[in-house]
Amino acid sequence: MSRRILVIGEPSAGGHLSGASLEAVGAALRLGGGAASVAGFAAGSTAAALAADFARVGVAEVYLTEEPRLDSAPLAGFVRAVATAIAESKPDVVLVGGTTFGRDFTGRCAALWNAAAATGVTEVTESDGGLRFRRPVFGGRATETREVEGGRAVLALRPHAFPLPAEAPVASKPHPIPLPELPPVLLAPHRAGVEAVTTGSGPALGDASIVVSGGRGLRAPEHFHLVEELAASLGAAVGASRAVTDAGWRPTSFQVGQTGRAVSPQLYVAVGISGAIQHIVGMISSRVIVAINSDASAPIFKVADYGLVGDLFQIVPALTSEVKRVRGIA
Amino acid sequence: MEIVVCVKPVPEAETRLRVATDGTALDPEAVKFVLTGYDESAVEQALLLKESVPGSKVHAISYGPAPRTEEVLRAAIALGCDQATWIDSGAAPATDPVDVARALAAAIRPVPHDLVLLGKQAGDDEEGVVAAALGELLEVPDFGFVVDLRWDAAGSRFKFRRASEAGLESWEAPTPLVVGLQQAWNDPRTAKLPAILKSRKAPIAKVTAAARSAEAARSRSVKFELPAPRTGAKLIEFKTPQEAAEKLVKVLREEAKVFP
Ligand SMILES: Cc1cc2nc3c(=O)[nH]c(=O)nc-3n(C[C@H](O)[C@H](O)[C@H](O)COP(=O)(O)OP(=O)(O)OC[C@H]3O[C@@H](n4cnc5c(N)ncnc54)[C@H](O)[C@@H]3O)c2cc1C
Repeated sequence: MSRRILVIGEPSAGGHLSGASLEAVGAALRLGGGAASVAGFAAGSTAAALAADFARVGVAEVYLTEEPRLDSAPLAGFVRAVATAIAESKPDVVLVGGTTFGRDFTGRCAALWNAAAATGVTEVTESDGGLRFRRPVFGGRATETREVEGGRAVLALRPHAFPLPAEAPVASKPHPIPLPELPPVLLAPHRAGVEAVTTGSGPALGDASIVVSGGRGLRAPEHFHLVEELAASLGAAVGASRAVTDAGWRPTSFQVGQTGRAVSPQLYVAVGISGAIQHIVGMISSRVIVAINSDASAPIFKVADYGLVGDLFQIVPALTSEVKRVRGIA
Repeated sequence: MEIVVCVKPVPEAETRLRVATDGTALDPEAVKFVLTGYDESAVEQALLLKESVPGSKVHAISYGPAPRTEEVLRAAIALGCDQATWIDSGAAPATDPVDVARALAAAIRPVPHDLVLLGKQAGDDEEGVVAAALGELLEVPDFGFVVDLRWDAAGSRFKFRRASEAGLESWEAPTPLVVGLQQAWNDPRTAKLPAILKSRKAPIAKVTAAARSAEAARSRSVKFELPAPRTGAKLIEFKTPQEAAEKLVKVLREEAKVFP
């Protein structure tokens, strides 16, 4: 039996398929050695553009709900449209990128479809016709492997855990899906606005492949620009320890850790951060960790892959210049 | 306002994790289960709303086995919740988050609930699925990643902001509503000793979880692993900051291959 997968398309700010959705396509196309049949779902005013993006990476069949009301309606409406697409395309797995959207989507969709659900998934494999997936738990301090029983599953994939699909353009085959009648209670909430968060000009923290975080070692808010300049040279998002956000040097949206955001970038650079357990649990699943700290006995060096023991006020500006030099940035 | 807050017993953050002998789960032996960060934050939010809306009540509900589930409910009562319901899972609680949501929904449906509050995710399995699944099962709108929640009495609606990839979204919504809170931004209060003592004798309603749905798919754990401990950083030797920078960039490009 060949596996049927439905990939949920989430638009990015520019109206194109988000990186996380493309990674979900990448994961779907690889599953079972590439034998799966993969369809897409897209909704809202940019649905047609998303379908074109799906076709660019080899997904021809796309279920479309071109309904502008879904742009700012609660997710419940979107999920009902997906349920109709599920009834038509009969997938056994629904994959979605594990963004805030994808994680909220997963619970709703799985409850509606009577499916198994999981988020933060880093690996999906076939095992004897069944589906297995792996995900970090306990803040990255352990990993569990789970098996789906009874077929249906909705899985939200951890950002950056799966490769992007190659370009493989095909002709798009759209299937329009009407928006089902919704109970009015589900449409009662109303979005009053969106304000861009001040994480500097770089990428969003949860979505970045490189994160540079600063801690109390920077001593004062007027020195935090050292971290931001290093981040800018690397195209990285800026994070902070709770010492920094508690002191009000940066808003809490910057905070990485147990009570902040958990991040899992390819590269995490901790500048002047001691490595308290509450910080570690938010970044331990990063692929490569670099620590810059003047105290050789700081616990951060126990979890880092590479360490520079020294004064950040000297090392960080030198590092920023060196990164700019090798990347050819003036 | 009738507020339901769902809490979950979760191992203390400092717990040393060990794998159970069958290799599929955490060994619960010697683990202390407590009310954790996200849930404390949800209880705090419930109590703040109760304090701002006269006549409100907070009802804490938890699904799980004895005795840990009753203990976290007592912790919630000590913090100021008015009422508690324990959904007894038996010794082998469901681990699929939608099953947990079904058990919670069955207990919440018959009780008044203008607002159902949860932490964004549990501190152990980090699924973050239960709030959204509950929304669907109760046929109520749900929002995860909510950072601040207020009741606007004049407009008879909640006003809240939610963190998303696009930034901070502002929303307005009437009751009923399910909310998953982003983080412990609200400095949860700690319980006072007299309240802790009193909570030991507080009544806790007990219901037995219904049999799991026969037609639903679910997942089960087949392996629980601890990563090989990180061996500690490779320290890069240098004499000048320039040398430090050059050596680090070189290893990141050539050895770790993390940037072009
Ligand atoms: C319930 C709870 C939840 C928490 N949640 C979080 C969380 O989500 N995230 C979080 O980050 N923390 C959290 N904390 C706080 C955490 O315990 C630490 O207090 C915090 O992470 C410390 O921040 P820091 O490393 O920046 O500061 P410090 O621990 O003060 O470390 C500063 C470091 O800078 C180094 N340094 C100083 N000068 C220099 C220099 N010139 N050059 C290089 N290095 C220098 C020092 O050697 C030191 O290691 C939480 C705590 C509790 C109790």
